[in-house]
Formats: sequence, structure tokens, C-alpha cells
Amino acid sequence: MGCHILATHSSFINMILLKRKKPLAILLFAAVVCLYACSKKGADPDPTPETDAKAANRKEMLVNIADNIVIPAYGKFKVKLDAMVAKSTAFTATPTTATLTDFRAAWVDAYVEWQKVELFDFGPGQTEAIRSYFNIYPANETSIATYITTGAAANLDVPAAYPAQGFPALDYLLNGVGGNDAAIVAFYTTGGDATKRIDYLKRITQRMNTIFTKVNTDWSTYRATFISKTGVDAGSSTSVMANSYILNFERYIRSGKFGIPSGAMMNGVVAANKVEAFYKKDISATLAKAATQATIDFFNGKGVTSGIEGPSFKTYLISLGNTALVTTINNQFTAINGKLVTLPENLYNQVNTNNQTMIDTYTEYQKAVKMLKVDMTSAISITISYTDNDGD
Amino acid sequence: MTETKEIGDRAFGNSYLQKLTHAAPLAVFRIAIGIMLLLSIIRFWLNGWIDTLYIKPLYYFPFYGFEFIKPLGSYTYMLFFVCGAAAFMVALGWFYRIAITLLFLSFTYIELIDKSTYLNHYYFMSLVLLMMVFLPANNYFSVDAHRNKKILSGYTPQWCIDAIKLMVFILYFFAGIAKINSDWLLHALPLKIWLPARNDMPVIGPLFNYRWIFFAFSWFGCLYDLTIVFLLWNKTTRLWAYIAVVIFHGLTAILFPIGMFPYVMIVTALIFFSPDIHQRIIALLNKIIKAPDIFINNKAAFTYGKVTNKVLLTGFAIFFSVQLLLPFRYLLYKDELFWTEQGYRFSWRVMLMEKAGYAQFNVRGNNGKNIIVNNNDFLTPLQEKMMSTQPDMMLQYAHILRDYYSKHGVTAPQVYVDSYVALNGRMGKPLVNQHTDLAKEQESFKPKTWILPFNDEIKGF
Repeated sequence: MGCHILATHSSFINMILLKRKKPLAILLFAAVVCLYACSKKGADPDPTPETDAKAANRKEMLVNIADNIVIPAYGKFKVKLDAMVAKSTAFTATPTTATLTDFRAAWVDAYVEWQKVELFDFGPGQTEAIRSYFNIYPANETSIATYITTGAAANLDVPAAYPAQGFPALDYLLNGVGGNDAAIVAFYTTGGDATKRIDYLKRITQRMNTIFTKVNTDWSTYRATFISKTGVDAGSSTSVMANSYILNFERYIRSGKFGIPSGAMMNGVVAANKVEAFYKKDISATLAKAATQATIDFFNGKGVTSGIEGPSFKTYLISLGNTALVTTINNQFTAINGKLVTLPENLYNQVNTNNQTMIDTYTEYQKAVKMLKVDMTSAISITISYTDNDGD
Repeated sequence: MTETKEIGDRAFGNSYLQKLTHAAPLAVFRIAIGIMLLLSIIRFWLNGWIDTLYIKPLYYFPFYGFEFIKPLGSYTYMLFFVCGAAAFMVALGWFYRIAITLLFLSFTYIELIDKSTYLNHYYFMSLVLLMMVFLPANNYFSVDAHRNKKILSGYTPQWCIDAIKLMVFILYFFAGIAKINSDWLLHALPLKIWLPARNDMPVIGPLFNYRWIFFAFSWFGCLYDLTIVFLLWNKTTRLWAYIAVVIFHGLTAILFPIGMFPYVMIVTALIFFSPDIHQRIIALLNKIIKAPDIFINNKAAFTYGKVTNKVLLTGFAIFFSVQLLLPFRYLLYKDELFWTEQGYRFSWRVMLMEKAGYAQFNVRGNNGKNIIVNNNDFLTPLQEKMMSTQPDMMLQYAHILRDYYSKHGVTAPQVYVDSYVALNGRMGKPLVNQHTDLAKEQESFKPKTWILPFNDEIKGF
């Protein structure tokens, strides 16, 4: 390392050996020059590149994820959310079974599409805490009733209000407030609180629109920041993204959709009423499948519109020499899908009648969680703590 | 007890143990260590780590045998203040004996509170401070010597300085020996994993796209650790060795989140320079305080009293024997050290492995309770990260859970762990037997039979 430096700066060395003054300063200077010179050598590496050298490129991965996954996925979700807002406006203007059916169908579409963007809990999505306002379930019937009565004065920003808004609250308000469609429409047309109920529906729908619009618009400016933080230290895009991606998979897919309702977690207490879309019931498996497929596609870098795989966790891992790990993870994803296809649409029924299949599905998710959380993060060398560390 | 003599020559007496040398290196070392520790404390404080590491956590992981060390709550700030103030007083050489004792005790206390914050260089610091409690580091260029001319002495026993050098030798040499293993040398692990993560750094980043670089860094690192102290000790190679120290630690400071360690080592290595160099550093410092010549060019020599000398030499001999043996205690345990970590700490194994883990605990009670524990409810992210890969911490955590749940509605809780650990890029697998009730297992120096076999081999030390 830096042999020519030895010759160049030998005069300094002589000065020290000859016991001139200020030896320390000179020593320090020589060291800094040497360090600088040595690092400078890296600027034009002349050795022949290894086969995989250029591919370990996090910037490419971030660009692909921003441009071909996050931004277009939000674009697709916007279409469905806009449609839902329009149907909400139609229903709240004239509540009939027809407008209810339309609203509900638009809600299902948007809810399914939401599953494909919920995992982007980084950048503006994280800043706005969009998941907390969009999909915390089971819905809280009591607080929804209270907020309806309180009206506009109710503060929906607080954590206590999370389960009283978003898709789960709409699930309750569109499917759970009456035994049939006529009864549900009556909920909004008869009785002293009818107007207040309409107002609440309007309010939470508008609110979803406002929050999402903010996230969606902010991404156009956040993109530049996102692709520029190319490190793997805490706070870098790769680190933040991987952490939230895994958290989403572990807590919001594995636990939320399977672990908690089946009782595989939570004291072994089976809680069928905690399935996603508990009031609509017959879409809970669709939602789980959509969320899982989005997770798989994200890992493989599949473009949301193009369907073509690009730079991703997968390619990055391969570039670091982890081809076997990538195969193992994708095989595990396939195993999860293998369980999911056997499940009927109505997971509430499934928990009550054949809960073992739910627990088995959870177990397959659990295996994938370990691979992502331990093997993948270790291979990418992601930092999770800000404190010093001398290597475990 | 001690005596100071007027001497004309450095060579006083015949045997090595009676040899005298100039006291300047010891004084410079005292000042440097005092300042480095003061800076460390300030840095720690400003980063808010006193709160996040020693006040915020709900539970702690004390070391086996040191369970009496308890966190002090908000008084922890006081502890750090004492530590910082003592460090400053040590630098000044002001009430040195009290200050260095306080510094050793407070610093070591802090480090013993929680295993998750264990760092080898903190351990090194504690050992050096312990030695310094007994060394005459305040007899030259100190406030003490200024106030009390009786202790002022420009010469000191040679072994007092060599003891510190020996400690530095142990740190580096054992760190070097630990690198002689197949993962490090033949597979360039874990640098092969860590360095590509820094390939976006300016200037040197692009280097980390080349596989040979990982091997070059691994081999150089190993060779450096094994030889650096010899090269520093030898007069003809000393300067180049010191430049290597600056480059090596400078690089590690840029590449890895290892805090003050590189700077502490860069400063510590100055101890190997000749007394002349240190005298010139002292002369430089004296330009600020402008003490009289007699204070700087003092011919008195410090020697310990006969009995004290004997006791101290015996003490140091025992100390170093322990230091030489401790890193090899892992040989008493079967299976791979990196996997079981039985005998891993206090052995100068630094930056040796990339280990990540996942541990999900399950508490079951006789009354049918069955709880999957959310680790976030009990541990900080750092604690969870450390616990997930280290069996002894898993055991401690299992006991924390046992005690918590027996007070919260679970009768006779049994604690099981579903663990999954990846070591140096190997595919992850369970570390602990998931059928072992950890609530019933006890910590001891005996091999932990509930650690599952590694079923692989890392050859070497």
C-alpha cells in the first residue's frame, strides 16, 4: 500500500529522525497525506473487474423500485380510490340499494388494490402513517358510533381513531350495519342520526383521499432523495425499505391476516372476528393473496405495469453471491401460495371450521419471515442500530 | 512506601525490573487516555445514548457473576458525569490516585450494566485503567507533581511503561490469532459481506466491487494484527508501523460503525515511541502552561518501596497470566465457538463474524396459558439484536420472561424459543433446542447442552 509515498515523504521522516521540532505535526501530516494518497488510488481501479462486480448496485435497485413499482402502483391505486370516492359521493347523495352496491363494489376494488401498496411503508407513506389510517382492523364499532354522534368535532388523527376509519370502517359501514342491503340503506336514510352517518361516511372517504393524495404527490419529490441514499446504514433507502418491507410481511400479513385470527399467536386464542374484511367476509382470502403476491413481486423487482423483473432484492442478493438464498426464498414464497390457493374466500368461516389450514398457512409464512429477516438482511448487511458495534 | 532518588543515568540497577526510563511516555499516555475518555463520555452524552442504552430499557443483561451491578435510573447521568470528571482529572494528573480509581470503577460499572453494549475496546479500556490505578502516572508533568514536589520525578521504572505495551500487544496479537480461521482467510468472511455494502463511498467505494479486495483486506488485517506490535517495538520499523496504525484504524473508522475505538488505538500506539519523542510532546504542551525548566527536566527517579514493588509485580504477573489464558478458554467447550459463543467475549475477537438472528419466545403455563412474546415489549432493538444471536442472553431473557409472566397470570411458566441464526453467510438454522424449557436452565460455565450443533466446521482458532 502506497510504496511511492514512502519515498516522496522520506524528508519528513528524516526531519523527525533528526529530531527537528514539531515531530508530531509532521507525523500526522505524513499520515494524512499517505491515507489520502492511498484512498486516491481507488479512483481509477485498473484491475480487471470480477464478473459480478458491477451488478452490486443499489442505485439501480432503488430506481427500479421507485419508477417501476412504487410510483405506478400508487397510480393504479389512485384510479381505484378515485372511483371509490365517486361512488361514495353518489351513495351519500342518494342512498339506495343500487348506489350501495356500486359503492361496495368500488370499495372491494380499492381494498384489493390497497394490498399492493400497503407494503410501501417508507418515505411519504411512512411519514403520513398511511397504513394506520387506511387499514387497522378489526374496526371498532363503538368508537365509530361515538364519532358519528360527535360529528366533525371528533379528532380522527389520534391512534384511538385508527380502527374507526379507512377500509375496515367502510367494511363495517357498508356491510355490517344491517342484515341486508335494504337495512343498510335504511341506516343512512331513517332515524335521527341518518344525516350524521352520511356525514361520517363522506368524511372518512374524503379523508382517505386527502391522505393518499399527499403521499402520492410527495413521492414525486421524494423520489430524488430515495434514489440518492444508496448506503446500507440506518437511514439509507435500502435499509429503511428492507426493514419496513419485512415488518409489513411479518406483522401485517403473517400475523394480521393469519397468526392473530387463527390463534397461532395471541395466547392461542382463536379470534375469527379479527380476520380482514370481517363484515364482507368473502374477500378476505383475495386480500391476503393480493398482499402476498405484491410482496413476492417486490422481492423479484417485477414492474407493476410492465410485468418485467428489474433490479431488486433478488438481483442485488445474486450480485453478492447469494443465488441459493434467492432460490430458497422464492421456493418458500411458492409454498405459501400453495397454501393460499387451498383456502376458500371466507377466512372467517375457515377459522371456525378448519382452522388447522389457517395455522398451516401461518407456519409457511413464518418460515419465509425467518429467511427475509435473518438471511436476507444479514447478506445485505443492513444496520438496524445507531450505536457502535465491533462485530457482535 | 515509595522513594524518589536523584540519578544521573537512566540505567539504575542491573536487572530488567530495576531498569529506569524517562517518565514522559507514561505522562503523555495518561493525558491522552484521559482526554480520549472525556471525549467518549461527551460523545455518548450528546448522542443521547445514556438515555437509550442505560435508562430507557426495561430490562438489562448483566454479566454472569456481576448481577449485583444494577442500572441507576436517572442517576446514570451522575455516573457518567463522575466518569467524565475523573477522566479530566486523570488527564491533568490532579488528585490522580482518587481520580484514576473513580474512573476505573465508574467506567467499568457502566460497561457491566448491560451485555448488549459489550465492546472489546471498552474491555481494553477497563483493563488499562485498572493497571493505571497502580502505575505512577502522576509523578511527571501533572498537577499533583506541581503541587507536591516530593513526588515529582522525571524517571520511572521501565516495566511500568512496558506493562501498557504488553497489554496493547495482547489486544492486537490475540485479535490476529482469532483471524487465523478458514472463514476469514479462505472465504474473506465477513468482509465479503460488509465491504460491498460500502461500495457507494466516494473514492474508495468502487474498490469494493472487486472480489480480490476482500481477500486483500482480510489478509492484511490478519497480518497487521499479528505483527504490528513487533514493528512498533522495533526502533527501525517504528515510524512506518505507526503510519500503518493510522491508515489501518483510519480505514476502519471510515468503513465501520466502531465509534472511538480507532482513535483510542491511534493515540495508544504512541506509547511505543521513544522517551525523546514524548519529551518533545511534553515540551510542546509546556508551551501552553509554561512551567519552569526544573519541572520538565527533572532528574529524580521514582521507585516503588520494596514491599509494594513485590506485591505489585506479583499482581501484574497474575493479571497478565489471566490475560494470556482467557482467550483460550473456548477450548474447554465443544462445537464451534462462533456458533455457541461460549468463551467468545473478553478474547479480542473483533469484527470477526456477521451473525444475525431471530428469536421468538413462547411462554406456556400450567393453567393453559400460551403466549407468543413480542420482544419489543421487553427489549430495545439493540438488546433484541444481540440477544437473538447469543445463547447466554437468550437464557437471561427467558428468565426475565419467566419472572414477568409468573407475576402476570401464568402459573409455573415454561419458556421455549424458536430461534434462527445465520452465521457468515451460511443459511440460517435453529441455534437453541426448541423443546428445552429455558425457564428451568441455569447459567453457569458448564457447556450449554441446549445449544444445537453447528454441523459445519470453521478451521483454525
